[in-house]
Amino acid sequence: MDDIRPGPMVVACIRITDLRPQIEPLSGTVVREPWSTGLSPPDAAALEYSFRIAEAWSGHVVVITAAPPSADAVLRDARALGATVLRIAVGSPSSDQAYMDDLGSDERAMAGMIVAALAPFGRPSLVVCGDRSSDRGTGALPAFLAHELGAAQALGLVAITTTDQESMVVAERRLDGGWRERLHVPCPAVCSVEGAGVRLRRASLTATLAAQRTEIPQVTAAGGPGTTRGTHPGGPAEVVVGPGRPFRPRTRVVPAPDGDDPRLRLLALTGALVAHDPPTVVGPIDAAGAADALLAFLIRHGYLDTEPVGEEAATEGTR
Amino acid sequence: MGKADVVPTPGVSSDTPAFDAVVVGAGPAGSATALALARAGRSVVLVERGPFPGSKNVYGGVVYGRVLDEVVPGWWNEVPVERWVVRRSTMMMTGTQSLAVDYRSAAWGEAPYNGMTTVRSRFDNWLATKAVEAGAQLVTSTVATGLLRDGHGRIVGVRTDRDQGELRANVVVACDGVNSLLAKEAGLMAPAEASHHTLGVKEVLDLPGHVIDERFGLRRDEGVDIEMLGCTRGIPGGGFLYTNSDTVSLGVVLSLPHLAEAKVRPEELIADLKNHPSVAPYLRGATLREYAAHLIPEGGYDTMPTMVTDGMLVAGDAAAMTLAAGLWLEGVNFAIGSGLAAGRAVDRAIAAGDCSAKGLASYRSDLEGQFVLADHKRFRKAPALVLSERIQQRYPGLICDLVDGMFTVTNPVPKPGGVRLTRSVAAKHGVKLRQLAADTVRALRVFG
Repeated sequence: MDDIRPGPMVVACIRITDLRPQIEPLSGTVVREPWSTGLSPPDAAALEYSFRIAEAWSGHVVVITAAPPSADAVLRDARALGATVLRIAVGSPSSDQAYMDDLGSDERAMAGMIVAALAPFGRPSLVVCGDRSSDRGTGALPAFLAHELGAAQALGLVAITTTDQESMVVAERRLDGGWRERLHVPCPAVCSVEGAGVRLRRASLTATLAAQRTEIPQVTAAGGPGTTRGTHPGGPAEVVVGPGRPFRPRTRVVPAPDGDDPRLRLLALTGALVAHDPPTVVGPIDAAGAADALLAFLIRHGYLDTEPVGEEAATEGTR
Repeated sequence: MGKADVVPTPGVSSDTPAFDAVVVGAGPAGSATALALARAGRSVVLVERGPFPGSKNVYGGVVYGRVLDEVVPGWWNEVPVERWVVRRSTMMMTGTQSLAVDYRSAAWGEAPYNGMTTVRSRFDNWLATKAVEAGAQLVTSTVATGLLRDGHGRIVGVRTDRDQGELRANVVVACDGVNSLLAKEAGLMAPAEASHHTLGVKEVLDLPGHVIDERFGLRRDEGVDIEMLGCTRGIPGGGFLYTNSDTVSLGVVLSLPHLAEAKVRPEELIADLKNHPSVAPYLRGATLREYAAHLIPEGGYDTMPTMVTDGMLVAGDAAAMTLAAGLWLEGVNFAIGSGLAAGRAVDRAIAAGDCSAKGLASYRSDLEGQFVLADHKRFRKAPALVLSERIQQRYPGLICDLVDGMFTVTNPVPKPGGVRLTRSVAAKHGVKLRQLAADTVRALRVFG
């Protein structure tokens, strides 16, 4: 098991799933492929928020999951980002299907196992989960975790930010009509987040290569509902909604990147060294429009001269 | 960056990881290279831009695994196969006719097997796992964005899109596919010419396995490979149909310049093919699962790039290794063969302490001594012949009409003699017997 580190502990409790499951058309059986396991967008967001909050608190991140060994590749990626990782072995080591059946059967028991596995690390200040999973998850695990830890809970969030005090985070949750409510969440707390708003950071190549050589600590399932419940006199502190009426966040203008080097401008614009850009939909448009869009893109990012030269300039209007 | 652009790379630090080799691209060529190197005890990093090997692959053909015999004994017991191809059919078509030459072999349905249909995301991952098990390090979700050079212009590694993303190595092996950016940056590959490429367009159609068995005359894990000529509205190319476990891959391969000239969208050609009277009954009730397109380097031997430079070599599609010789359309086995040869060459070069172009030159001689370049060299004239105007636009109709004339009963008109029938059908299709004879001789020279 990794060294227990000082400072507030932020736990990312993630579920590692097959992102491209195959469905047997006749039987409806879900066939899981170990090589296509990964993080769903909510779990990736949970991990990213964990890192952000741990950085703000000068704390550390513990990533925990209940999964078969096929999840180790994802955990190594998390380790490369600087987290302490832990896998609870559930189901049959040779069968991802058994894992799925076990995991879906009793989420309250799973919450007990997770809290028991975390006990040697100390009491978490914050646990962040994804708000849903793509493979039979009910979204109830965060609530069970909060119950087991005796912690406050705020579920289905779109953002979590820290405050001046480590005993509190501010969270946002969607309301109808584009409005949001702002929650003041006392720690310890369990939060679940939507897969939106943030992108999971990428580890450096050096860290990625180093993490590949390490073993993932594994603990066997232990504990159960109620066996590890946190003791807080009077129960968990209450989440406060407000202040005042819901707020609607403003749109913001992203300035164009500066500099003469097209490559650096492109890197600044795309964040290529930080995260991949999502695809951009420019259509449907006709062929000439598509060509213009491509040329405009290349010019915008410095791959082509901004001004057409010679005959191109003369014929530009008829292209 | 061009060939002459050999400026020192700023920011190349000496503390970046040093490996014997960096292999870019975890397709069949890259994984085979990494496997060969790892088994030789070399430190090798396999860089893949997708989240897992095969994740971006849209290939839908037959994989011939004989090349794996020496590296993964008994590979057929573990490879992720869809169906073992036991039927190979070559079909000449017009809009309403078809003539098929159908070959079936029971031996192809037993070990050691001949060819298989497979899902490349599974196959590529299987092969990459072999490399990892042998000791290679696989780094996914990482794009090789450029080459690192030392002060003498020699390639010493790659730059990736990750932070601290420089990988220094004795040799870089570019297996980054048909549009190899690294080969271009190294000056090994000329700017792409459309005439050297085809566009493969494919639909994957859902059909229950037992229905596939019944319609194609198959049992359990048996499969069929149908190659078609004359189904592309005269655009040089052809069609294909492969059976998978519970899907059918159907598509066309089209000459890029002719496709652009014809102003036809490829999906229209697939729609034609699906509605053809010889194909439609196979596909009745099938539903579309996937649609994909991919460039194929079909130029052959004469269009291959320079394969080696100081500190770098290219393999697989990056080296235009796909064999498109009419009767034979093979790619994965050539990619694996070239990858294994690349691994051996790098191992020899490192052992000799010379990773210059001269030290890596054994790569090409190794390829020439085995099927990879021997077959390409033997069939170097095949692409031009197969994509020629008469083969593509006249002979399918001519052959179908010839057979139609032979087997259509025209009583009370007497049956025509073979020579008279051939003359009249050839004339109908604008082919002179002299041209027919010349093409026959040319074909014998190309394929003989």
